[in-house]
Amino acid sequence: MNVIETRELGKRYGKTWALRDCTLALPAGHLAALVGPNGAGKSTLMNMVVGLTVPTEGTAAVLDGQPAGSPAALNGVAFVAQDAPVYKNLSSADMLHLTANLNQRFDRSFAKARLADLGIPLKKKAGKLSGGQQAQLALTLALARKPRLLILDEPLASLDPIARQDFLSAVLTAMADDGVSVLLSSHQVAELERVADYLIVLSRAQLQVAGEVDDLLACHRVLTGPAAEAQEYATRLTVVQTRRGETQAHLLARTSGPADPVPPGWESHPVSLEELVMAYLRSPGVSEPTAFARVQRATSKEATR
Amino acid sequence: MSVLTLPAQPGQDTAPRPLPWRRMAWVTWRQQRATLISVPAVLGAVAVFLVIFGLKVHHDYAAIVKCPLVGSVQNESGACQQLFSRFNATDWPLGNTCAILMALAPVLIGAFAGGPLLARELETGTYRYAWTQGLGRERQVIAKLALVGITLAVVTGAFGELFAWFFQPFLYTEELNVLTDTVFSARGLVFPAFTLVAFAIGAFFGMLLRRIVPAMAATLGVYLAVRLAAWGVRKYYPVAVVTSNSKIFSQFQTPSLPGFPWILTTWVTGPGGKPASPSVANRILNGPGPSPGASVPAGYTEWNRWIPLSHYWPMQFIEAGWLLVIAVALFAATVSLVRRRAA
Amino acid sequence: MTIDKGDSAIEFRLDPDSGVPTYLQLVQQVEHALRLGYLKPGDQLPKVRDVVATLTINPNTVLKAYRELEHKGLAAGRPGQGTFIEATLEQVTLPELAGLRRTLLGWLASADAAGLDEDGIVALFTSGLRDFFKTSGGRGNAGQRGGGSRDRAGTAGSADRSAADDGTEGVA
Repeated sequence: MNVIETRELGKRYGKTWALRDCTLALPAGHLAALVGPNGAGKSTLMNMVVGLTVPTEGTAAVLDGQPAGSPAALNGVAFVAQDAPVYKNLSSADMLHLTANLNQRFDRSFAKARLADLGIPLKKKAGKLSGGQQAQLALTLALARKPRLLILDEPLASLDPIARQDFLSAVLTAMADDGVSVLLSSHQVAELERVADYLIVLSRAQLQVAGEVDDLLACHRVLTGPAAEAQEYATRLTVVQTRRGETQAHLLARTSGPADPVPPGWESHPVSLEELVMAYLRSPGVSEPTAFARVQRATSKEATR
Repeated sequence: MSVLTLPAQPGQDTAPRPLPWRRMAWVTWRQQRATLISVPAVLGAVAVFLVIFGLKVHHDYAAIVKCPLVGSVQNESGACQQLFSRFNATDWPLGNTCAILMALAPVLIGAFAGGPLLARELETGTYRYAWTQGLGRERQVIAKLALVGITLAVVTGAFGELFAWFFQPFLYTEELNVLTDTVFSARGLVFPAFTLVAFAIGAFFGMLLRRIVPAMAATLGVYLAVRLAAWGVRKYYPVAVVTSNSKIFSQFQTPSLPGFPWILTTWVTGPGGKPASPSVANRILNGPGPSPGASVPAGYTEWNRWIPLSHYWPMQFIEAGWLLVIAVALFAATVSLVRRRAA
Repeated sequence: MTIDKGDSAIEFRLDPDSGVPTYLQLVQQVEHALRLGYLKPGDQLPKVRDVVATLTINPNTVLKAYRELEHKGLAAGRPGQGTFIEATLEQVTLPELAGLRRTLLGWLASADAAGLDEDGIVALFTSGLRDFFKTSGGRGNAGQRGGGSRDRAGTAGSADRSAADDGTEGVA
C-alpha cells in the first residue's frame, strides 16, 4: 500500500510555482525524510498531502488512494505543522479533551501516560510550556489518534539536542509499536541519517530524487580517476555531480547496481547519504526523478513485529 | 526489506462514521469560551443596572402620570412641572445614553464575536491543527456559527425585551413610539436579528480577510450599510393602511405622539375625488386655524397612508425575516469559503 | 542513570563514526556476544521497540539485522514473543582473545617500526583481511563480506576516500 501518492502535483502562488510536477509513491512502513533547502517546496507538498492547500494542478492521495483532505484521509493521517501549533490559552488536559472530541480514535490513557512520562503538567496553559514541551504535546496528540500516517513539518528545528532525541525516539517507538508510517521534513540531512529509510529530495520546487535509502546508496557511487578522462565518462554515465581538481576528478554517478563495471584506472567508493543529498541539491534537474521513484523492489515483504 | 505495517482493521479508513454534534458542542464551547461567557456576562451586568435604574424610571414616571392634566404640558401646575423637569434632567440623559448604546450594541457584539471566530485560527496558525483533525473543517465551522449564533440570538433577544420595559416611560415623555427607528431596532425580534447579521458579517469577513482587525473594521462598515438600508426600507413594508378622515388626522410626517401611528403620506382630495390643489391642501393641513381633530372643510377629504402601532409585530417579523435571510446567506457563504479556500 | 530493560541478555550500542552500517553493527554485536558467551541458544534478543527507543534508530534497521541473523541461522523469530538465539558460534574464550590481542599488538609494533602511520596500517590490514576471507574462506563467515568492489562495510573505502579528498578542489 502506498501511504502517499502524488501525480504531477503542483502549486502556484501568483506567478511563482512553489512546487511543480511532483510525482511520488511512498510505500507504507517507512520513515521518509523530506529534505531540501528553505523554499524548496517541502511545506507546500505537505500542506497539499494533508488537505490544507488545494493543488493548482495534479492530485494527491493518501492511505491507498483516499483523496487528500477527504474524511477518510483526515481520519487516518495526523499532522504536526511547523512550530507545533496548539491553542495557547488551553491547558494540556483541555487539548487532550479537544483532540479526543475531534477524532474517531483517541487513546486517552496513552496520551496521559506519555505526558506524565515527559513531565508535562496537565493543568498548565499550553502557551506557557517550553518549545520542546509544546512539540512533544503536539506529537502526543497526534500519536494518540493512532494514525496510519504521521506527517511532521520541520519538527526538530527549534528543539535542543535532548528534546530532539526524545522526539525522534517517540516517533520511532510509535513506528515499532503501531506500524505508523512517517513523513518528516528537515533542511538538515545529518540528523536524519540514522532514522530515515526513505528519502525524498526537493530543490527549487522540483522533486530531485526519491527512493529507499538502501537502494539509493547501492545505486550511487563516487568514481575517482584522472581529470582528463572525466569529461568522457561524464557523458557516458549518469553523473549527478562532478568535482574536479587539476589531475584528479570525482564523479558522483548513478549506476544500476553495485556490480556495475568501474572504468579502468578508476576507483569506486560508496556514497554517504549526506553526500548524496548535497550532490542532488547542488545540481538540480540532473536526474529523471520520476523514473527512479518508480523503481520498485521485486518482492516487498511485509512483516509484522 | 521488511517493513512494519499496521494490519488493516475492517472499515477503519473507509467512510468513517460522522462524529456526533454533541462532541462538536464541547469543542466550540471550549474554543469560544471567551465570547460565550463575556457577552452574556456583560449583558447580564448591564441588565442588572437596567433593572435597578428602570425601577427608578418607572417610579418617577408613575408620579408624573398621577399629576393632573398630564399630556398638555402647558397647563400643568408648578409641582407637576417640577417633576417633569427633574425627570427630563436626571432620568432622560441616562435613558438616552442607553438608547445610543443599544444602537451600537449589535455591531459591537457582532464584530467582537464574529470577527475573530475564524480569523483567529487563521492568524495564529492553529487552523493547521484544527483543520487536520478527523472532524473536518466544514463541520467545525457550522457548529461554531450555530452555537455562537444561537447563544447571541437568545441572549440579545431577552436583553432587548428588558430594554423595552426599561425605556417604556420615555416613549411618552419624549414623544416617541414603538415604530421610531431607534426604538424599533432595540427590541423585539429586530434587535437579535441585527446582532445576528453583524455576527454573520464579522464571521464572513474574518474568513475572507483572514485577519481579525480588518474583519472587525469591515463589519462596522457593512453593518452600517445594512442598518441604513433597514431605516430606508421600513416604510415600504406591506403593512400600511389607507384611510380617509373627515377630521384632521395627520400632524407631522414622522412618528410623533405616543399612541399615534406612523403616518407615511397624507393627501387631500377635493370634490369628485380629484386631488386638491397644493395651496388648498396646504391650507387645510398646515395653515393657521385647523388643528388636530378639527373638521375638514366640506367637499374635501383627508387621506392618510399610515402604519398603526398595532402593526408593530408584523413589522418586526418582516424586518427580522429579511435580516435573517441575509445572515443565513452570509453563513452559507462563509462555509463555502472554508470548504473551497486554500489555507 | 541506570536504565533497566530486563528481559534481554545484551544491550546494543552504536558507533556512529565507524563507517559500518547500523544494521551490520547490531549483527556483529550479537555474533560477538555469542562468541564470548554472553548469549546462549534460547536467549531472547532485545525487543525491536526497546532497541528503537534507546538507540533512536529506524525499526526497519533492527528488523533487517534480525533477519540477517535469521538468514545466518543464528536466530529465529517466534510470533508474538520476539527473536531468540537458535545456534551458537565457535566460542573464543577470553584467554584466547587475550592471546590474540597480544599477538596483534606485537604486529602493530613491527608495522610502526617499519614506518607505517595509522592510516597505512588500517589500509594494509583491511586489504589483507579481505583477501584472507576471499581466498581462504576462513572458518568464520566466508561469503558474507568481501568479494567484488568495496562495499560500505569496508573501512578501506572510507580510508581511500579521505586520502583522495585531500587533493581535491571542489568544483560544483
